[in-house]
Parts: sequence; C-alpha cells; structure tokens
Amino acid sequence: MQAPSADETIQRLIFGLSELDELGETIISGHGNFSVSSRTYLRMILGTLQVTGGAILLFHPTENTLTIKSSVNVRDESLVIRVPPGQIPGFLDHPFIDLAEPPAVLRQFLEQIHPLLKSLDARFWFPLKIRDEFLGVISIGAFFNADAMEDWNRELLNVFANHTSIAIAYSQLQIRSRAERFRLFMLSDTATQICKSLDTEAVQEEVVAHVVTLLDANAAGLMQINPSTKRLEMKSLFSLESHANDELRRLSIPLDTEENLHPALSMIAEVATQADKTLVYNDEKNAALFGRKNLIAVPMRGREEILGVLVVADKVGRSGATLDFTDGDKTLLEAFANQAGVAIENAFLYQEALEARRLQAEMEEAEKIQQTLIPDTLPDIPGYEATGRYQPRGGVGGDYYDCIPESDGTWGLAIADVSGKGMQAALLMATLRAGLRSEATRKTDLPTMALTLNSLLNASGDFGKYATFFFAQLHAETNQLISINAGHNDPMVIRSDGRCEWLKKGGVMLGIFPDDMIAKMPPFEQETTHLASGDIVLFYTDGVTETTNINDELYGEARLQDIAVRLRNESAETICRAIYDEVIEFQGEAEQFDDLTLMVLKKQ
Amino acid sequence: MLSGKFEVQTREEEDYAVIQTEGYLNGPRGESLAETAKNLMQKGHTRFVINLAETKLINSIGISILIEIIELLEERRGILNFCGLTPTIEHTFRLVALARHAGIFPDEDSAIAALDNP
Repeated sequence: MQAPSADETIQRLIFGLSELDELGETIISGHGNFSVSSRTYLRMILGTLQVTGGAILLFHPTENTLTIKSSVNVRDESLVIRVPPGQIPGFLDHPFIDLAEPPAVLRQFLEQIHPLLKSLDARFWFPLKIRDEFLGVISIGAFFNADAMEDWNRELLNVFANHTSIAIAYSQLQIRSRAERFRLFMLSDTATQICKSLDTEAVQEEVVAHVVTLLDANAAGLMQINPSTKRLEMKSLFSLESHANDELRRLSIPLDTEENLHPALSMIAEVATQADKTLVYNDEKNAALFGRKNLIAVPMRGREEILGVLVVADKVGRSGATLDFTDGDKTLLEAFANQAGVAIENAFLYQEALEARRLQAEMEEAEKIQQTLIPDTLPDIPGYEATGRYQPRGGVGGDYYDCIPESDGTWGLAIADVSGKGMQAALLMATLRAGLRSEATRKTDLPTMALTLNSLLNASGDFGKYATFFFAQLHAETNQLISINAGHNDPMVIRSDGRCEWLKKGGVMLGIFPDDMIAKMPPFEQETTHLASGDIVLFYTDGVTETTNINDELYGEARLQDIAVRLRNESAETICRAIYDEVIEFQGEAEQFDDLTLMVLKKQ
Repeated sequence: MLSGKFEVQTREEEDYAVIQTEGYLNGPRGESLAETAKNLMQKGHTRFVINLAETKLINSIGISILIEIIELLEERRGILNFCGLTPTIEHTFRLVALARHAGIFPDEDSAIAALDNP
C-alpha cells in the first residue's frame, strides 16, 4: 500500500483536529452516562483515523476487570479481561501500546490474554487514565488506508484518549453524585417512612428494608436486647440468600456470658453494650457467619439506652461482586441507626400506651362488675351488729365480702381475696360469689362446699389463679359460728374480756389445685366457735395487715389486734371505721397496691 | 421475613412492551432487567412500560441502571413509562430527576395509554 502524500496527511490532520473539537463539544454538552456517549467517541476516533474496528474498554477497580463499553467490528462483545493489580502501573506508564511490540513490563500479561486480544482485533491500545487512576483502554484494529501508525495518528489518539478519560471521569462523578444524592435522600426519607407506623413489628421490617437499599447490601438483620434474658435477639431479617435463614431468624446472642462465641457474634454482642462501637468485617474469614461475605454492625440507640444492633451484610456491586463497606457506609449506617432507634422506641412506647389505655378501660369495667358484687350494706342479723368496708387501691383487685341470709335462719359470712387484678380477677370473684351463693342454699357441710368451690375455680381460671377464702355459718339463735378457712388471713375473735382467738381451721386456698391433687392432700376441716355477748369477729384481707408506710414498715396483725382489743366495747360500725382510719393514717403518702377490706361482726 | 426473590416478566405487544419486576432491584438484578430491556430494543421495541408494583425496594445501583435504560431509549427516540411505584420509590425517582425523562403512572393501563400521548 502506498504511503499517503504530504497533502493527504495534512488534509487528514485537519479533519482529525476538527473531529477533536467536535469530541470536546460532545463531552461538554453530552450525556453524563458514558454508556451512551462512548459510542459517539468511538465512532469519531475510528472515523478520523480510518480504522476498521475498535473498542472502548472500561476498567472496574473492584473486580479488576476490563469490559467492553462500545465496540465496532468486534467478534465477542461480552469478553472480560482480568487485569492483575500488579499490571496497572505498566498501563499508567505507557500512553501508547503497540500490541505487536509491547513494553517489556506488560509483555507476559499481554501474551497471556492474546486470544482475547484476537477477539478484539486489537493492534494498538491507548490506556485511559486520570492522574494515577486507571480507567480503561481504547483498543483499535487495523488502519483502512495504511499499514502502520504514523506519529501524528498516535499524537491525535493520545489527545482522543485524554478527552475520553475526562468523559469517563465526568460520568463516574455523575454516577457517584447521583448515588450520594440517593443515599442522602434515603436517609432523610427513612425517618419519615419508619416513623409513619407505630406498630413495632412493621417498623422493624421497614428498618431492615431501608437499610439494605441504603448500603447496596443483600442482607440485614435487626437485633433487639431482651433485658429480662440479657440476650440480643433477631427481630427482623432481610436476606436474598436462603442459606441459613432459619438459623438467623432464631439467632439469639447472650450478652453476659463466658461461652466461646463465633468472633462475629462476640463482636456483635460487644456492639450491643458499647454506644460508640461500630463493627466492620470486610474479610470473609471473620464475617463468615452463616455464609456471609462481609458485615457491618452498629448500635441502635434509644433516648437513654442501647436498644439493639443493626447488622448489614454482603454489600455487592453492579456485577454482583462483593464490595467492602467503606467509612462512608459506616457514617451513613450510624446516622440511620439513630433514626431507627428513635422510631422503634416510639412504636414501643405507643404500644405500651395503648396497652395501658386498654388496661385502664378493663379496670373500669372490672370495677363496675366488682361494685355490683360487694354489698352496699349488710343485712340486720338479730342479736348481732355486722358491718363491712371495701376500699380499692391501685386498681381493681379481687377482694370480696358478703353476708348471705339463708332460708333456715342461718347467716353465711364470707371474705375472699382472688389473685390478680382487673377483669380476670373480677370474673373469678364473680364465679366464686355465684358458686358460694349456690352452695350455701344446698346446706352441704363446709368441707364439701370448699371442695366444690375449688373444683369450680380450678376449671374456670387460668393456671395460677386462685382465691384465699374464709366462710362462716352463723347460727344466730344458738350463737354458734361454724367456719372454714381456705388459705385466708385468719379472722380474729376478740372476746369481751380482751382475749384473742384465731379461726385457722380449713385447708389450702381454692382453685390452684385440681380435684385429683386435692384428694391427696389433708382434707378440709371446719371448726365451731361459740360467741358470747360483746365478742367480736374481725374478718380482713391482707390489704389491711400488709399496708406499708413510707418507711416500708408493715401495719401487721399486732396493730390490728391491738386496736380491735382496745375498741372492743364500741359498736361494730365504730370499730370498722376506726381500723380503716388507722390503716389509712399509717400508710400516709406511701403508695398501696392491694385493696383494703374489713368486715366486723359483734354479738350484742 | 422479607422475601429476597427477584423475577422479570415481559409482555410484548405489537407496538409496545411491558416489563414487570418482582423483588429487590439491586445491581445484579438490575443488570438482568437492563439485559431484558436491551434484548427488547434489539427486537425493535422503543415504547416501554416498566411495572414496579411488586418491587418495593430499589438501591442506588438499581436507579442508575434504570437511568441507563432511559438513555438508551432516548438515543432511539423511544419512550418509557413507569407504573405501580411505592411512594418512596416515586419520591426517589423525582429526586434523582428520573421522572423528567420517563412518565410515572399509578397503574399499567394508564401507563400504556400514555405511550400514545407523551
């Protein structure tokens, strides 16, 4: 082939310079996305130099590969060239590489990738770089009208390569800027999104969903501290991998243990106990927890304490390659975790407030039920004075007292304390009252009645629900008091001379043991007491004797006995009111949580 | 637990194509979406609807891939409409100016209808 004349060379040079000008314009006004603009650059380069084919290859530093961005007349557009990091300086030092006679430093590597270069139809490579950053190469094939590359062609291509490098850097800057904008938006938007819900589980799910997108990760877990078990427990999990998800969902890390834990678990536990600790494992060895490739964990703080830990794993790039978590990721995650902590705490407090409101409503309902069960006044018993007092304290408890006139002229006197508070206690008390009133009319002996009531309460209550119960049958004409005490505070009999006796006989409290177990226990017993003129029987619940004052002292049985003895010559009403007043005075400003119930029977 | 699966389904009509995604749109999954769109473009399609109703999460790489699809379509003087976006994703699209180059519609029918009235 004939060498071009000097005139032809000048004409081509002028054309090349005008295209260069065009390329500059394209870079300034063109697309930020290099995928689109690179095709224009390549066409300009190939057209200006009259080269039959070529390609622009971009270098991916995280994967150390070169891939084709744009190409003309290339056989395999999907080829991937792996570039060992040690080869990069060779490319940075040589702005022009004749692949037929490569520089010594790159020779071995280029020989190794010879088949790939053949697929590219590559004759010359022009490395693309900005300062010390290797960006890729312009690869060109054979010249259409010449056998060899002339000096001016090479100079022109060097200028094209510089322009293309600027375009790539600009494009990368735009992508980074867009990603940063996205992340900042996500961070600010997250606060709004996760605070919208006040359902704790929904907030936890929102948090893990947002955090994976924020850090371009494939997995995230939200672990919360369970203060009662002192463990860090998985509450919400997002994972693209199905591997080990069941184990992860059940993950629970002891916070205070001598156990030998996996290093990652041990570090996560440490994050949960140190507010300023962030853990980053970019090495697979330490992050290999349940098959993860890398992970980052930050504490999630509430207003006053650490609520848990947010763990994010497997950050991936566009091609799916694992990327290291950066300092930027760490800063972003810490800011996000602060927002998440507040959102979760808000949801938790809201749920608590809802629960408190529900309990309050339940208490009010229970109180209404209890008001209907406790008598306003006790009936007149010939030859006796009877009076009672009930004072709810700290919510609705399960205290109950009653005086039931029976058809045979006897009187049933009952006092009971049902376990628990609120609706459940009120319903158990209603059951006891109904059972008692039914049994009282059947005139069975008191131990049999106790067995029946035990069976009834055991069947109707949850495990652990029970009632202490005292019942006495007063034969007013004979002044005989037959009683049974099922685990209740022993009522006092204050004789007119000041002596005191206790009505203890009976058996275990009602409702806690099933029939078959009760049958194996000592049988219920009843006792008979004769009442004489001036004798007093004082019935009470533990709310009286266990009242505490601000010094945490108990009111106790001794004080109760003392006042009853002292006032034994007064009326039942006076004694009842005086005891009540003394107990209230004793408690002073101290908060009380148990109801106060008293019933006084006096033989005239 | 949140699901991690991702699927791309396509429906080709005479003068448009609908791409429907399901799951978290991240880098590798975005690549498969981009590949699907490019294949459809090579078959001559230039009018697209991408239905993201079943995609609740997109990360920054997913966004950049959607932008790339838009630019490839602009080069071919094509048109793209999105539909079924969650409020967060719609917010994001507007913030990164993606909404200036593609339409956003509540459902697939309105997105398809709008292909004729860009």
